[in-house]
Amino acid sequence: MGIFNTENLEIFSLALFFISFFGIITSKNMIKSIIFVMLIQTAVIMFWLKLGREDTATPIPPIIYDPALLDYMERIADPLPQALTLTAIIIGFSVVAVIITMFNALYRLHGTADWKKLEEVEGD
Amino acid sequence: MLTFLVIVPVLLAVLLFIFSTNITAKIISIVFQSALFVASIYLVMITRDAEVITIVGSYDDILGIILRANSLSAIFVMLTTFIFLAVSVYSYSYKDRRDARTFWFLMFVLEASFIGLFLSGDLFNVFVLIEVSTLVTVILAMYDRKKRNIFHGKVFLLANVVSIQFYLLGLGYVYRITGAMDMERVTYALAGMDAGNLLLPYALLMTAIAFKNTLIPFFSWTPKTNIYRKSPTVVAAVLSGLQAKTSLYLFIRFQEIFEPIAAHDLFLAIGIFTGIFGAVMAICQSHIKMILAYHTISQIGLITVGISLGNEYAYIGGLYHIFSHAMFKTTLFLSSGIIIHSYGTSNVNEIRGVFKRMPIVGAATAAAVLGIVGAPFFIGSVSKYFISSDVGPLILAVTIALSLGTIISFMKFSSMFFGQSELRGDSPKAEVCKSIPVIVMGVVCLAGGIMGTQFIYFFFRYSVGIQIWSYAQKSIIFIVCALVGYLIYKYVVKGNALLSRLGAVSFGFKSVCASMGIFLAALLLW
Amino acid sequence: MTQGLLVLWIVSSLAIVFETRTYRLIIYFSIFSLITSVAYFLLGSPDVAMAEAAIAAFASIFFIICIEKYYSRKENVEKDSAKGESLARKAVKAVPALVLCVGLFFLVIYFIPGIEPSHYLKHLYLQRFMTDVGGENAVTAIYLGYRVYDTLFEALILVIAVVAVTHMSYSEKTQVADGSHSEIETSRVAALSLRIICPIIVAFGAYLIINGHISAGGGFQGGLALATFFICRYMVYDIYDISVKNVLQWEEFIFAIIIVVTAIAVFLGAATYMPAAIVPIYQSVYLIIMNLLIGLKVACAFFVLFYRYITIERE
Repeated sequence: MGIFNTENLEIFSLALFFISFFGIITSKNMIKSIIFVMLIQTAVIMFWLKLGREDTATPIPPIIYDPALLDYMERIADPLPQALTLTAIIIGFSVVAVIITMFNALYRLHGTADWKKLEEVEGD
Repeated sequence: MLTFLVIVPVLLAVLLFIFSTNITAKIISIVFQSALFVASIYLVMITRDAEVITIVGSYDDILGIILRANSLSAIFVMLTTFIFLAVSVYSYSYKDRRDARTFWFLMFVLEASFIGLFLSGDLFNVFVLIEVSTLVTVILAMYDRKKRNIFHGKVFLLANVVSIQFYLLGLGYVYRITGAMDMERVTYALAGMDAGNLLLPYALLMTAIAFKNTLIPFFSWTPKTNIYRKSPTVVAAVLSGLQAKTSLYLFIRFQEIFEPIAAHDLFLAIGIFTGIFGAVMAICQSHIKMILAYHTISQIGLITVGISLGNEYAYIGGLYHIFSHAMFKTTLFLSSGIIIHSYGTSNVNEIRGVFKRMPIVGAATAAAVLGIVGAPFFIGSVSKYFISSDVGPLILAVTIALSLGTIISFMKFSSMFFGQSELRGDSPKAEVCKSIPVIVMGVVCLAGGIMGTQFIYFFFRYSVGIQIWSYAQKSIIFIVCALVGYLIYKYVVKGNALLSRLGAVSFGFKSVCASMGIFLAALLLW
Repeated sequence: MTQGLLVLWIVSSLAIVFETRTYRLIIYFSIFSLITSVAYFLLGSPDVAMAEAAIAAFASIFFIICIEKYYSRKENVEKDSAKGESLARKAVKAVPALVLCVGLFFLVIYFIPGIEPSHYLKHLYLQRFMTDVGGENAVTAIYLGYRVYDTLFEALILVIAVVAVTHMSYSEKTQVADGSHSEIETSRVAALSLRIICPIIVAFGAYLIINGHISAGGGFQGGLALATFFICRYMVYDIYDISVKNVLQWEEFIFAIIIVVTAIAVFLGAATYMPAAIVPIYQSVYLIIMNLLIGLKVACAFFVLFYRYITIERE
């Protein structure tokens, strides 16, 4: 289906990976860095989900309510990357929740979210 | 069986959190740590003969998660449980820790994640456990509410999250080309593949692992060391003694998995630079814990050199150095905790006369220092002997330079043993609970040197002999180094303003992340 | 449609790169996550799509709670250090980073392994999971059966995060369960409609949890839906009357039960001691119980997180 085929999706997720990497190494603001960290996780997850595709048609979810579905094996999405990314999403969010809390405490302490200023205040 | 070695500490942690009071938490933790230590010795005993494999659940092996214990990982597990036992005995007498439940919850979880990392045979499980240990590490390092260092903790956490994304991406490629997650199957599948196809996953995975190892482009992410400075002593001891070991273990495992294209030469060079820079930075510090923390980085460089050299003696030496480093570094952190507590300051230049004030703790600390600098008959000398036993002149020069750097940085440290204490009045009794682990580990530092070959045979089932003549040669080199180091320390380092300015150099979060990208590019283009 | 979606995906991520105002950042982030979630669904993974949507919603809420207090709406987030700098200078400053990222992108694309992907494991999972673990959803079968060991640690990391958040945001003054009203203004229409929506959300969450093993959804997604209920409840009744500490204890307790259940059912392999006839029933009971426990645990965890953030906001 045009641009949305297997090959391109991989390149798109890599592109997103490096766009967010660019964001991480250039952003001056802490909130922006945190958002880019979430974005980079999304890129990796998209990449993983793409791994499970065998042909270019829209895949069937791996919910086998009818054993006859197993005849179309190559059209069913791979369940393993899905289970793994589910784990990765929750883990990523748990870490981000802690990071947001830390941001809160820092902001209350110094009144700024700017990396440069914070490094001046804290970096010794 | 292996599953329970990981799960039971977690379950106990949760139960302690829910039900216990502070005092019972301490007692239960000591009892349980002893039990775990015994169990791990048993594990070492069985893995001497054969690998122990546990499939989680009763599924067919490729579908489930597999835990593997070979002799190497069993040793690491034993080391982990031993250090946690020491640490729990050490912190028995803490009175100021009002919130001991949460503390022990986190410590147990940390221990479980370390044991899990050493036993895990599954690549994705390694990711999960790395995340657990990172998160717990950060929280523990900032545990004290009054003097926590949130900024550096946050940088540490963010940088780790970014680095772990490289790992996940590389893991995706591994899964795609091999169709497996299990380490052994992946190794098997990769062995027959074209090297060009393996490069990308290898580079991505190694970027994350090298970052965890604090190798050269990442060495000065001082957040880590800054965390050490303000974190509780016990936590600093565990982090320096063990956290670094988990990443080294992963480094060894991943180099094995990617044996066809493993970039040993690159990592050899990186190890050399890391070692030298770590030593230079350690010379520049004056905070006790900072010296120790930077010194850890230098030793990691040395271990990486030993592992990457590709000769068997150096490899064994590197492995033994991991063990010995865990011993003397934990001893030093714990004893420096006692010393700081007793003197009320953490500046090395202000502490004098430790031997007089607390002779036994001082002696144990001195044993650890002698171990770390590689003095003859102490633990470090054996591992350094093997690392440099069968190498060319270049590596030999590097190892000598490294021990010279170590000696100089510890000149400053050991100057606190002598002299006259400015503190008057009765010397406070060092608390028994705190002294016991320090003394025991100090004795291990000595025993590991005298009975080095027996230890190596027991750990790695590898019989090596130390030739008296070349060992004596090394000892003479050490003595010469010590003299030179003393002179350099006295005339160059002492009171040098340039050096102390160099010691304050550190990278911010963004440059750390950028160096990740540069490292990835370097690995790809190598 | 899908092509447009993909273009939008990249555009929204670029919009985040160039945006400097915090509120807009978060809105772009929500848009981005919505598109991602739809894309996941189109890739045949409804479970992940649901989790992503819920997680992104929670993340946006947390961000907004976080910045509401500290940022005025008009504040430019980059004005602190970039004051008075022209756009051209900013662009020049970004060039090395741009070169690095573009270079890495092309390097990585150049080195992409050209081997045919191996789908051996996928076929094995799909053929075996119904007899090995039971249920009809292969994803649930993997994360509650084959790889439950990972799931335990994933649940553990959520526990740690909650403990960390409560530990770090602790302050002497704050009493969460004080029963007093918050200052958030609620419109009566919103309150009324939330009152109607609340039971539906709970029913939806319960459905996701209980049917997790035979259709899309599961403990995590259902738990997140249940946690949404707490937020709605907060907005409707506008009151703090639940003790965070108790909920935290409950969460840990549920986690302990999860460990015990897993240890008995999976690590010790309870099914191998049973007569073959009752194994399928036992399997679905196990899956439902696990999903239920995980759902309750996740709901407790997100409840604590949300109330913590709200408390910070109230100070």
